[in-house]
Amino acid sequence: MELLAQGIASGVLIGGLYALMALGLSLSWGALKIINLAHFSFILLSAYLVYQLTVSYEVDPLLTTIIVVPLFFVVGALMQVLFHLANVDEFKSLIVSFGIFIILQSLMRTIWSADFRRIGSDLNPYETESIFIGNIALPLPQLVAFGAAVLIAAAMSLLLSRSYFGKAVRAVAQDADMARAFGIDSRRVAVILSGLTTAFSALAGVFIAVGQTLFPGLAVSWFGIVFSVVILGGLGHTVGALTAGVTVGVAAGASAVIWGPLAAPLVTFVILIAALLFRPEGLITSRSVA
Amino acid sequence: MTQRARVLVGFAVTLVILGFLPGLQETMQFPRFYVIFLFTVFFWVAQASSWNILTGFSGYFSFGQGAWYGIGVYTVAVLVGKRGLPFMAALPLAGLAAGAAGLGLGLVVFRLRRLSGEIFALTTLAVAFVLASVARLTTAIDGGTGIFMTGTPLPEFLGDFTTAMYRLTLVIALATVLVAFLIHDSRLGWGLFSIRDDEPVAGGLGVPVFREKMIALGTNAFFAGLIGGVWSLQLGFVTIDDVFNIRVPLFVILMSVLGGMGHWMGPVVGAVIITTLSDRLNSAGLADVNQIIIGSLLVVLALAVREGVYVRMRDRWVTTAGTFIGVLALVVVLDVNDSLISDFAFAMVATVVVMLVSERVWDLVRGRGRSKGPPPPEVPSADLAETSA
Repeated sequence: MELLAQGIASGVLIGGLYALMALGLSLSWGALKIINLAHFSFILLSAYLVYQLTVSYEVDPLLTTIIVVPLFFVVGALMQVLFHLANVDEFKSLIVSFGIFIILQSLMRTIWSADFRRIGSDLNPYETESIFIGNIALPLPQLVAFGAAVLIAAAMSLLLSRSYFGKAVRAVAQDADMARAFGIDSRRVAVILSGLTTAFSALAGVFIAVGQTLFPGLAVSWFGIVFSVVILGGLGHTVGALTAGVTVGVAAGASAVIWGPLAAPLVTFVILIAALLFRPEGLITSRSVA
Repeated sequence: MTQRARVLVGFAVTLVILGFLPGLQETMQFPRFYVIFLFTVFFWVAQASSWNILTGFSGYFSFGQGAWYGIGVYTVAVLVGKRGLPFMAALPLAGLAAGAAGLGLGLVVFRLRRLSGEIFALTTLAVAFVLASVARLTTAIDGGTGIFMTGTPLPEFLGDFTTAMYRLTLVIALATVLVAFLIHDSRLGWGLFSIRDDEPVAGGLGVPVFREKMIALGTNAFFAGLIGGVWSLQLGFVTIDDVFNIRVPLFVILMSVLGGMGHWMGPVVGAVIITTLSDRLNSAGLADVNQIIIGSLLVVLALAVREGVYVRMRDRWVTTAGTFIGVLALVVVLDVNDSLISDFAFAMVATVVVMLVSERVWDLVRGRGRSKGPPPPEVPSADLAETSA
């Protein structure tokens, strides 16, 4: 029973990480109509960069955020510029971002090899830190990641609903041509949003580097989970992504306790199929950009 | 002779010519490796053509090829390698199992009214990894130990192992392409094309949208599973990581994008070119770089090539044949390469480059010619309206 409670608790926390990973994909799909498979390799690439920076310069891994996040903002913005130049539509974005995914995956395999990489505990002060509630341990890296996910989801939700930029994003998401006719620079909005979503994936990468062991196949293993979170949360829906992340995290965490860790992908897939069958528009339907 | 009859005769001739090739190996004294190379090409032709039946015709983008292929591989591996069933009895089951899995997925996703194309694409991406974890969990399937397939007894009439592989893959590849051709030129094909262009309108005009998508997906999965079943023999030792990875969908997509997805011959041309190139890259010791090149190629082709090289080759077949034969003759005469496959790879790359470059040059020449002459009559064309929108 205690084991199950622990499983659920870590499920909630890891759900925050899932939400952070899904947020970028969800926003770019919902608002920009671009299904960016490269997001998965951006997350892993950011994690590897954090690993490399920490190991090479012996800095605090969380401190690398100030380098990695702006860097990926620029990368994401540039990618969107490329997509504009080439007139990439939804269908093409799948092929192109799949190509980018493959390139980045092979690059990472070439640079960091297929070996397991982990920031050593001498450089990683957060690795073994935990906060205890009763007998339930809450590992610090996951706790921080969860906090960041909540903050970002709330901030994005506010940004989208209150600010001019948010209104512009929602207008572009509804009808880009019409938004342009009303004087919104839809390309600029898209470039900034793409930068933001990629920056989110970079942030997710930081937390993954702190809390997990890295290997190139990791990106592929996220497909099912993150995609379930996106669908369950509703496209372009920030708060939905968080709720869905926690739901999927708890389900995966509880099933890992009951059936072993290998069952987790299966459980997320069952959730995905159930979501598609019964609630294809997501858990919460109000207030999304799409 | 109608076009259909001509194509069917073409199929028969191809079957006869290619069917007799391995028999000539001893009299002609060419390396046995050529036979192996050819059946690798057939494998990819079957994969790419079956993928194209769904994605090229109906526009539903599928990453599921690896899953259907993997189901085929594991059906044969479990039934033959573990249960000792005769291979020829298990092979059809491989196709049927994959087809059933495809239909099961279609039943869920094709009923969605919104975004079903995008959701289909991403769900198929996840399926292969879910199947991998199922195979890993179930000891009756794999359990993480892998299955040995070497020394599987094959029926007498297929000949030795290499010849048997050659004959099996040839027949399945030709059957897949034939089915793709028959669908392409049928009421079903027109229905699928209308779904690709505008599904709600197609449905409104009475195209049985759901049924046609299911047929296309089922056919795709069936043939992918069938060729996967054969390929389990070539793998020798079947492991989860070897089977359920991103390689099969990646190559299939690249081949079809290069060759052209609208036409049934596109993936065939793409498969021949990409398999040849990839084989040369690997034998040059560039296997690590291979995927980076393949990925870059995919990005460039997706951005630059609108309808694939096949249609252009057909329209300008004199240039195509001229370049191909010219370059091939040149490399053979100069004796640059140690292998005939390298010669062919050179000629293919040259032809593709000429096809792609010549279009740019062609546009330039035509554009200049037009500005000098009288302005063309203003005819509103559906094509133009669509590109400007």
